[in-house]
Parts: sequence; structure tokens; C-alpha cells
Amino acid sequence: MPVRTLNRLARIAAAVLLTAGVLALASWQLRFILQHWAVFALLLLLAALVLFFIHFEKSTLSSREVGLISILATLAAVSRVPFAALPSIQPTTFLTIVSGYVFGAQAGFMVGAVGALGSNFFLGQGPWTPFQMLFWGLAGASAGALGKYFPDVSRVGMTIFSASWGFLFGWLMNLFFVVCFIEPLTWSSILLAYAASFLFDCMHAFGNVCFYLLLGPSVIKVLQRFKAKITYTESQVPG
Amino acid sequence: MLENFCYKHKGAFLQTLHPVAALTYLAALLLRPLIFNHPLYLVGILLASLLAAVVSDALGEWFSYFTVGLWMAALVLFLNPLLCQSGETVLLSLPSLPLIGRRFFTLEALCYGAAMGIRLLGVITAFALYNTLVHPDKVTGLLSRFAWKSALVVSMSTRMIPALARDLAAAREVQQMRGVDFSSGNLRQRLQKYGWLLELLLVSSLEGSLQTAEAMQARAFGCGPRSHYRHELVRPRDYLCFLSGLFALLLSVYARVRGYSAFSFYPKLAQPAAGNIVLFWFLMLMFCLLFPSILAWGWQRWPFLRSRI
Amino acid sequence: MGVATLAFFEIQDLTYYYPTRDKPSLDQINLQISEGEFLLVTGCSGSGKSTLARLIAGLIPEFYGGRLQGKVLLRGVKLQGRQRSALHTEVGIVFQDPERQLVMTSVEAEIAFGLENLGLPRPEMFRRVAEVMTFLNLLPLRDQFTAALSGGEKQKLVLGSVIAMHPRILVLDEPTSQLDPVAATDIFNLVESLNREMGYTVILIEQRLERCFHLADRLVVMEEGKIICDQAPGEAARWQVKEGLPFIPPVARFFAALSPGSDSPIPLTVREGRRELQNRLPSFPPRVNKRDCRKKSSAQEQQKPLLLQARGLWYAYPNGPEAVRGLSLQIREGELVAVIGPNASGKSTLLKLLAGIIKPDRGTVQLQGINTRNLPPSEMGRNIGYLSQNPNDYLTRDTVEDELKFTLENFNLPDNGIGIKILQRLGLDHLRQANPRDLSSGERQRVALASILVTEPPLLLLDEPTRGIDCRLKIGLGSLLQEIASSGRTVVVVTHDLEFAVEYAARVVMLCDGKVACDGPRQILGDSIFYAPQMARLFRGQAEGILTVDEALAIMQGGGAGACQDA
Repeated sequence: MPVRTLNRLARIAAAVLLTAGVLALASWQLRFILQHWAVFALLLLLAALVLFFIHFEKSTLSSREVGLISILATLAAVSRVPFAALPSIQPTTFLTIVSGYVFGAQAGFMVGAVGALGSNFFLGQGPWTPFQMLFWGLAGASAGALGKYFPDVSRVGMTIFSASWGFLFGWLMNLFFVVCFIEPLTWSSILLAYAASFLFDCMHAFGNVCFYLLLGPSVIKVLQRFKAKITYTESQVPG
Repeated sequence: MLENFCYKHKGAFLQTLHPVAALTYLAALLLRPLIFNHPLYLVGILLASLLAAVVSDALGEWFSYFTVGLWMAALVLFLNPLLCQSGETVLLSLPSLPLIGRRFFTLEALCYGAAMGIRLLGVITAFALYNTLVHPDKVTGLLSRFAWKSALVVSMSTRMIPALARDLAAAREVQQMRGVDFSSGNLRQRLQKYGWLLELLLVSSLEGSLQTAEAMQARAFGCGPRSHYRHELVRPRDYLCFLSGLFALLLSVYARVRGYSAFSFYPKLAQPAAGNIVLFWFLMLMFCLLFPSILAWGWQRWPFLRSRI
Repeated sequence: MGVATLAFFEIQDLTYYYPTRDKPSLDQINLQISEGEFLLVTGCSGSGKSTLARLIAGLIPEFYGGRLQGKVLLRGVKLQGRQRSALHTEVGIVFQDPERQLVMTSVEAEIAFGLENLGLPRPEMFRRVAEVMTFLNLLPLRDQFTAALSGGEKQKLVLGSVIAMHPRILVLDEPTSQLDPVAATDIFNLVESLNREMGYTVILIEQRLERCFHLADRLVVMEEGKIICDQAPGEAARWQVKEGLPFIPPVARFFAALSPGSDSPIPLTVREGRRELQNRLPSFPPRVNKRDCRKKSSAQEQQKPLLLQARGLWYAYPNGPEAVRGLSLQIREGELVAVIGPNASGKSTLLKLLAGIIKPDRGTVQLQGINTRNLPPSEMGRNIGYLSQNPNDYLTRDTVEDELKFTLENFNLPDNGIGIKILQRLGLDHLRQANPRDLSSGERQRVALASILVTEPPLLLLDEPTRGIDCRLKIGLGSLLQEIASSGRTVVVVTHDLEFAVEYAARVVMLCDGKVACDGPRQILGDSIFYAPQMARLFRGQAEGILTVDEALAIMQGGGAGACQDA
């Protein structure tokens, strides 16, 4: 018990120091940061990716969870390939969202992130990889939060959720494109870039909605049955 | 087409590098197009990555990426002048449109677009090299020291991808023989048919994941603190390439901070001609970036050098 | 005190229930295993033999949950609670499907995986990995991507990664059920040398007993969670013949059936059997004239109309080798043809070419005189029933009944009660409303079969239908296929299972290297050396045309006429 409190104290102290450091840096170089806000936004996003992975490392994992997360990530990755020819329509987002919804934020994040990484072993790694990992991961994690706080969200709710991730994913990916390659950044140029990708985002959202309406309820049922199966057996282990 | 995007082991010099050395070198290649906008530097970097691909017998893969990059670069080239209204030399003025108003095509914005296109190509070809030079296992192995759980999930998932892709193809054949025609119907019907495959695959994969978990448990997974097996050989070449990569990184940052590589596009293009200092720094940087490729070339040529590094 | 023989591993009065089940999967089990023993465990699927394997390996109840009564003792010490995790280090287990057991991307990392879990220091891991790779001859594969290995290599790697952990007991749960015979022999040889040369205690769960029966010190037969037989293989064979149980390889079955009452030891291998046969038969039984057999059967075949004709087929996979090379084949209506051959001989490719799933690069396939290139996929599907190796590929609906309706709807066929008839014939009637995903693997296979039989296709193509199913189901499948063939429809079976081929098929086509190596009535297998069933090897040079135990018994009980009847 004392060891745990000590660890906790150390962690809090580290967090406070880190925040103080960041704030000091920010106030010292505020002008510089404001000038290059987009670059810092990207750095922050990448830091978020790393933080998610650190969180995963800290959790305790059973062999079942590792097996489950890996196979769902593999499925998310493989299912992207037959759709490579269709612009922006793929079941990866759908699979990530339902995985997160049933198995929680952390599993959802890993399924999305590792699925993106794995599919790019075949579709090509590129500067887009870390961003796809992060945004697909976020889709899974947010679905996990949805499943936690609104466990009986309606079909309509899930459809809206899937559709909005279709747009959100595209918009977040645009951010990376705009920041790196368009200068000077003005609101109108950002707006135009977003307008240019609108069609693709619509396709993505349309694909998500289609997959959810066609498969969502039955896939969620399958996953929930599997979850019940693995958690039930765990609770039965005699002491 | 797709197989050009996966790693293939060809025994090339740069493929034998220690992952830390290879990643440092690639990071230098990647960072430079991101922080420079001087056209000379951008073209130089593209050249360096092309040479690295040549000595690694990976031209085919490099060009697969290059063509993908070319499309995106073309997009940037035309989007930038459309989106960005700075610059003084107006080449073309478009008629006034509702909502966005009047747009101008300026020479400066076009040039900036071109430079950004090359920047994009630089970034993409750096990743092409990453894909062809670094075995995914080496990275996962490196990662497993800091984050073994994530590394394990990545490794398991990578391992299962070919099997699952095969299962997908087999299930498709079976359903086709059962009268499911995957090539007919509208988009929604087609998605439905693939949806069946997906669901079927999901069910058998979930079952399979339990078997995998069982096999892992039987091999003492999670029974206590873990140790790490993965190790990579270190050769003199790794130090050489690591150092040249590191120097390139440091020099880039220095050159950027001192402004040697600065080039201004707006409001009017700067003179592309460069002073001696700019040229000196450029050559220094190029040498650092080309050094591993030169080593690779020598390694292929002279048995003596091969035995020493 | 007398010398107490302390069992190395002991199970006392053990009963185990899986969660949510009311019937015990292990029922009052008592078992003693001494050090260095080779124990062969067999039984039908669902008999509890896999559960027993998991119990010994310490996965029950830790991994599966459920209720457990009784004692497990290791070296005379009762294992309780946390102590049971000691079993992970004492017992290593290899499962059926190698594909599902590998977790890492490279061969070396895979072997090291268990060692990392044990937290061994690095030098120790290097030593063990090097040793295992040398012993199993895995060094040439050390840098390979594990997903690219063949099935046999994968299973060898699994075995290697288990023995690297230095267990005292090796449990193998049907390790060869997914492998071809050559790879299976390889695994059995390794297991034999691990037992004989390295002193490992081996517990082998198996259903295909031809290659491992003679290796065992004891045979344990299980039924409904109980051990019903625990004897030396010879006695066990005699007892089973008396009880009518099927878990005996042909040679032992033959001799046990020949002399049910005597106490003499029963030969377990072909070599011992041939010796014994010579003692019994100083004068050879009359030879069956095989020419007669061939003439008779070929005369019969000629009368039937041609169903499928393949001429000069060539096929190469994209970026792969030529899998089928100039192959020609004729199949007539009402035939039951077994296609056999080593791995990568083009069997599955041939089946896909015949089914029209892939199109030949050169050559033609004609179905009832029509080139299949000109037939739309829907037409092919209606005329050809194709059963793949994985029955799960067929299960897309929520009930068994819907699964059949789905096929009918796809082909716009009316449901005129044929579905119910087929379900009744396959013994699935009571499962009509069940979810196919909840069924056992044998039942799933029958559902898959039902879902293609429902269109009453004139041609049925089956890829390895006996893989992983137990002998009782195999008999059911074989007689069903014979029934289908005798109703005038045609069946082509690709199989590794020689005993199944000779038992049920009338004609055998052997492929090698993408070409037909031989093609004729089933008796041609008697001439083969490596592809002969056990009984043919037993009677080689003494009587021709004997392929099954029943034929052999018929010939021993006078008269050679029996051998030709099936042809």
C-alpha cells in the first residue's frame, strides 16, 4: 500500500513538473508557438498517440484480451484491402467503432491504431500512417466512451455517430495535409481545402452508415456474446 | 501493384543496418523536406533518396511510391495557387464566384505549390525507403523494449494478416459457388455481400483468437515479469551510418536556425542564386545524406571494404 | 514399507464441468502417468480427450473456468490454487491448428516467445533457441516470416517453441489433424525421438492411429468423459474388437479379429504383421487376378455418359509456380472418384479448375459437353456443389434452415421440401432452428454439405472432407457419398486420407507435380508402395487387390472373390 501511494505521488509530481515546464515554454515562446500553431497542434496530436500507447502498456492484459485485440485489428486491416479501389469506402471505421463500443475505449483505440498500421504494411506506409493510427484509434476510443456512458444508445444514435466519424476522420486528416503543404494559412484557404475533400468525406460517412445499418446490430450481438463468454469463464475460476 | 509496398529482403547493404542506424538516417531524410523550403535543398533530398533506392536495388518500389506522390504533388501544385491569394505576379484571374469571391493565380503561389509538391515527394520517398529498407520486425523488436504489449499486438496482427486475407479469398470463392454474385448489384447490395463475408470472418476469427490465447497461456504468457530476446548485430557500418544520419540531422537544424536554407516566395520570389555559405552548407548536408549510399556502393564493389564494415 | 511406485503425474477421481454446462466433460477420471511413458489417448470427438489434455497442461480451470472436483498430483504432491501455474513450466502442449498457435512474425522470435514469458536471462534464451533450431532442423527457416511456412513447418515450429521451454511432459492434442501424411510422419518421428532419445513423457491425443499406435506404451480410450480402456495397445486392440470400437489401425484390427480368443501378442506394425502372416499361412491363399478386376470395372464405366471432361489443363498462380501442368481427366456420371497425391501436387487447384472458381490458362473444362468458360458463375454453382476445407465459410445465416433457403434463393429455386429431406438424411433435423455457429465442427460440416446439396447438383466436389473429423463421422460421410453416387450423381473427393479413399471410392486418381500420375479403379493403390493402405502393404506379394480389413478377413476365411466386389 505505501509503495502504491509513493508511486502515485511520484506520478503526480512528474505530471505537475511537466505541465509547469510546458507552460513556461509556452509563455516564453508564445509568439513563436502562435505563429506556428499548426505545427504544434500536430505535435500535440502525435503526443496523444504516444500517450494512448503508454496507457495500453500500463494496463494489465490477459492472453484473451491480447488475442482478441490482435484479431480484431487484423480484421480491420484486411477488410480495407478489397475496398482499396473504392474511394474512402471501407469497413475499417465500422469495425473499429463496434469493437470500441463493445470492448471499451482502450481495445477500440488499439484496434483502430494497429489496424491502420497493419493495413499499411500492404497499402504502403507513408506520412499518413501515424495520423490514420491516431484518428482511427480515436474513433475506437470515442466509441468506447459512448458504450460506457450510453450503453443503450439507439440505432439512430449509432448511425449518427458512425456518420460523424466519417466526416471527422476526413477533416482531421485534412489538417495534416493543410498544415504541411499550404502557406500562408488563412481561414478561407482551410475552408476551401475542406470543401475539396467534402465528396470523399461524404463517401466515407456513407460507407460507415451502410456498414452499420447492414451489419451493425448483428455484429454487435456477436461481439457481445463473445464478451459474455470470455468474461463469464474468467469469473468462474475457483480461488 | 500492392506487393511493391511491402518489405522484401534482398540482402542489400542498407537493409542489413541496425534499426537504430537505419531509422536515424531515414529520420534525417524525412526531417529535411519538412523544415526546408529552399528548392535546391528539396531537389537535393529527392536525389539522395533516389540514390539510396538505386544502391538498394529498390527502384521499382521507389517509383511505385513516386507515382503515388506525383499525383498528390500535382494536387498541391494546383490547389495552392487556388487557395492562396498572396503574391504579386498575377498570371490568371478567375471570374468571381459566389461565396468565395474573386480568385487569382499568382506565379509565387504556383512556385510555392511546386516547392511543396517536391517537399511532399521528398516525404513520400523517404517512406518508400523506410518500407524497402527496414524489416518491420526490426522496428517491432526495437519497440518491444519500451512497449512490449503494443509490440506484441502489432506482431500478432501482422502475422495473422496473410492468413486472414487467404480466409477472406476462400470464403468469397465458397459464397460465389453458392450463388452469391459479388460483381452484380448496386453499391448497397455489393456492400451487403461483402458484409456477409466480413461477419462470417469475424465469427471464425473470434473463435481462432481464443485458440491463440490458449496457446499463449500454455506458453506461460502473463505468468510473471518478462525478458526480451530480440537482439540485433552491430557492425562498423551501423556506427558510420548512424553518425552520418545524426550529423545530417544536426546540420539541418543548424542551417535552418541560421537561415542558410531560407527562401522566400512571397510577396515576390527571391533570387534563386545562392552565396558561398549556402552552397557550403548544402554540400555538407548532401555529403552526410549520400554517405550511406556511397558506403553501400563501395560495399558491393570491393571485397576489402565489405570485410571491414 | 514396500517400494511405492510413485507416479510422476497422477489424476484422482477428477470430475470437471465447463461453465454453463450441466454434463461433466470429465467424469471420475483416474489416471497415472510414469516418467518417460508414451500414452496414446483416443476417442470420438466430444469424448473429453481434449479436455483431459487441457487439464494436464494446466489450462483447466485457469483458462476455461468451470467447476473441478478431485485431485491432480505432480510427483506425489497435490497441486492447489497458485501451485497449478507450475504446470506451465512442467507441461508443454501442442494443439491441432498450427495457424492459430503462432504469435510472432519470425521463426526465431516464435521459439523465444515462451522463454521471454518465463523471464529467462538472455544467454540462456540464446542457447535454448539455438539448440531447438538445430534439433528440429529449423535453421534454414530462421529468418522466414512465420505466415509463409507450410503447415508441417508451422507445426514443427510450434513443437520447437514448446520444447524450448524444457517441459517434463509433452501433451499433443491431435497435432497432425491439419497436416498431410508426409508432414504428419515427420511430426510423429520427432515425437518418437523426443520420447525414446530424450526421455520426454508424451501424451498423444490422436484419431488417425496408423502411424502412432505401435509407439505407445498404453492406449487410453475415452467415451463421454470417462476412461473406458487403459491397456497396452495389443490388449486394447483385442478388447476393442470384442466391444466393436473403431480405435484400432487396420493391421491390429485384422489380427485381433482373426483370433479373438487367443492370448498371443498382436502385431502392431506392417513388418510384424507380415511375419505373423507367414507363420499362419504356409501356403498362400489363391491370388486374385487383378486384370479381371480392371476389365470388369472399365467395362462398367464405359456405359455411363460423360459428365465432366478436362483437356490439357494448365494453370499457374500469379507470381507462383505452375500448379497444374497439362492435365486431362474424364469423369462419368455416378462415379465416386478420390483424388490423392502429395502436398502441392495440384489437387486443390484441380478441384478449383473443375469448379470454375479459377479459369485454366490453357485447356478446357467441359461440363456436360459445354465449355465452362462460357457458363456464368450462377450456372456453375447450380450444377456443381463445392465443399471447401473450412465449413465455417458457409455459415452466414442465423439458423440452419435459413442457410439452406439462402442457397435456394441465390439460384431462384423453389423450396419444395427438399431442404427438410436433406436435413433428415444428414441427421440435422433436430437442429433446424439452431444457430450454425453454436454447433460442433462435425455438425457444421454437415450443415455446409446440406447447404450445397439443396440444389441437387449433378456434380459434387469436396476438398479434404475428412480433415479433423472423427472416425464415426467419417463412416457417416463415406456412406452418404456412396449413396449420392449410387443415385446417379457424381462425387469427386480430394483427400489425404488413404484409408478413407480405399474404403469408399471406386476410382482413384493420383496427382504428382501437377500431372496425373495414375488413374484407375481403387485396386491400383494395391500396386503402389508409398500410397498403399496398410492392408495392401501387409498382403503385398501374397494376395493382390486387398485394401481393407473386411476384404482381408474375407480372403482369410476362404475365397478370394470378395476382393473384387466393390469395383
